[in-house]
Amino acid sequence: MTSRQQHAEDRTAALAGHDTAGPRVRRRTAAGRVQEAHRHRRTQVGRPVLVSLAFLAPALAALLVLRLVPAAMAFASSLSHTSLVTGETSFVGLGNYATLFADPTFLQSVRVTLLFSLIVNPLQIAAALALAVLFTRRFAGVRFLRVLVILPIAVPPAVSAAIWSVAYRPDGLLNSVLSVLGIPPQPFLTSPGQAMWSLIVLLSWIGVGYWMMFLIAGLQDIPTSLYEAAAIDGASAWSRFWHVTLPLLRRPLAFVLVANTVSNFLVFAPVQMLTNGGPQGSTNVTMFDIFTRAYTVGDLSLAQAEVMLLVLLVLAVVIVQFRLLRGRD
Amino acid sequence: MSRRLYALLATFIGLAFALPLLWALSSSLRGGSEIFQHISRLSWETLVPAEPTLGNYARLVTGDFGRAILNSLIVALVTVAAGLLISSAAAFGLSAVRFKGQGALFAIVVLSFLIPFDAIAIPLATLFRDWDLTNTYTGLILPGLGHGLAIFLLRQFFLAIPGDLVEAARIDGLGWFGVFARIYLPLSRPALVSAGLTLFIFQWQSYVWPLLIGTDAAHQLGPIALANMRGQFTIDYGELFAGSIVLTAIPLLIILRFQRHFTQSIATTGLK
Repeated sequence: MTSRQQHAEDRTAALAGHDTAGPRVRRRTAAGRVQEAHRHRRTQVGRPVLVSLAFLAPALAALLVLRLVPAAMAFASSLSHTSLVTGETSFVGLGNYATLFADPTFLQSVRVTLLFSLIVNPLQIAAALALAVLFTRRFAGVRFLRVLVILPIAVPPAVSAAIWSVAYRPDGLLNSVLSVLGIPPQPFLTSPGQAMWSLIVLLSWIGVGYWMMFLIAGLQDIPTSLYEAAAIDGASAWSRFWHVTLPLLRRPLAFVLVANTVSNFLVFAPVQMLTNGGPQGSTNVTMFDIFTRAYTVGDLSLAQAEVMLLVLLVLAVVIVQFRLLRGRD
Repeated sequence: MSRRLYALLATFIGLAFALPLLWALSSSLRGGSEIFQHISRLSWETLVPAEPTLGNYARLVTGDFGRAILNSLIVALVTVAAGLLISSAAAFGLSAVRFKGQGALFAIVVLSFLIPFDAIAIPLATLFRDWDLTNTYTGLILPGLGHGLAIFLLRQFFLAIPGDLVEAARIDGLGWFGVFARIYLPLSRPALVSAGLTLFIFQWQSYVWPLLIGTDAAHQLGPIALANMRGQFTIDYGELFAGSIVLTAIPLLIILRFQRHFTQSIATTGLK
């Protein structure tokens, strides 16, 4: 291990707060480390690897069976086709992918998913950032009110879907709130134009508090002296936000944006429970399309091809996440 | 803007976020016919039941739904116990001894576990069907065991344990398993709690997997029972809301109890 790696690790541990919470670490000198490394090399050639692998074995087995094998299976299956007539499976190469890209249902689900992502991600991050800024101010009751916003993260997706499905009914809670404001009753889930927005509101109710927590942690890491200096220079509140807060919040913001994008690509329970992809396919996001293809239509190979496309897309987003976070340091 | 304006805005937002849950809570305390009576015209009675009753919760105890919640608890708790063992052993393997290529191995382990589980749930379910693991606790528990974030959290913590301590224990004749069980684990309680929380929440909230693999009444999990209830012709809304509250209250209590560790675990996620 090079000293740069060691340094990076120490820094990560320190950032994670482990210096205070963790066991006390006695700082070793560089010379001591080198000496120790030599001693290790002399007495235990080859052994550390075996010890490590023995401890890693169960996790490696889980990783293989639960992640890599199914991914490989999905890939293999996506290249083959099982005839409904003869039951025979044959290799069709990229045929399933070609079928998918010629299938109007699939193309619509891609459009819906992209449109949904383009709306929901910026919206949720902007809301989370605004709330994080608001809830790091000092005023009476701020801690309690912050907890109210964070509360929904304990609600499992299926539960929030159940609660909101009743709230979205024509005679439900939301229409009664609207009527107080003098707005006529809305169809919500049964309208092709409103169904996706209804899902977005529900998902934001669950998600915004969660992402807000990361951003609050990031905001609290910004030294107040920077703000004081900016104030002395006569910077307005807006320019302080723009030139101090935002640049220093880059890492948590990048993380939150990408993690949110990934989780929104995988939205399933609310769609299945509230709209079943409808009305008129307006909420047929990719995860739901895959599920229908596999279990309602019954074409597992096509579904696996779609799984592969989704996994590739999500992995690409995860890699961008690593780039953004490691980028300019 | 003045401080008072911020407070007003924050109060309005906080109440808006809390409203659906408050409404679910009050609805869960109402008798059957009363639930929709007070919705259509918003008043204080929409949120405060006139004659609160625990009848809906009592029905949970006897019905299928209660069984489902119990199943969720079993699955989540076994996952935490077994998952912590596997993850901490892996983290130990990635931190206690040093060898060439360790960094790469760590990256592979964490990256592979980052393949979103829900995305590959369908191929995995096909595999589990071949192995006769549908409608078994094993089938429900297994996918929760390997978790990249849990391994990551524990490894970060383990790296801070001084090598001298390990060396001294080794010289005293303690085996590697002894070092793991008697030095690393007892020293790492905070990290074990964060990782355990991660594993618990993952299992408690999962929906796609139990929908694919746990379909009979004996192996249904809470979220699935809730979804199925909505598919029936006559929905018992009282029980639906009571179930929702229980399924929310359990993780909420655990999160509140271990709040510090929870924040710590998600703060670390940001550094991934």
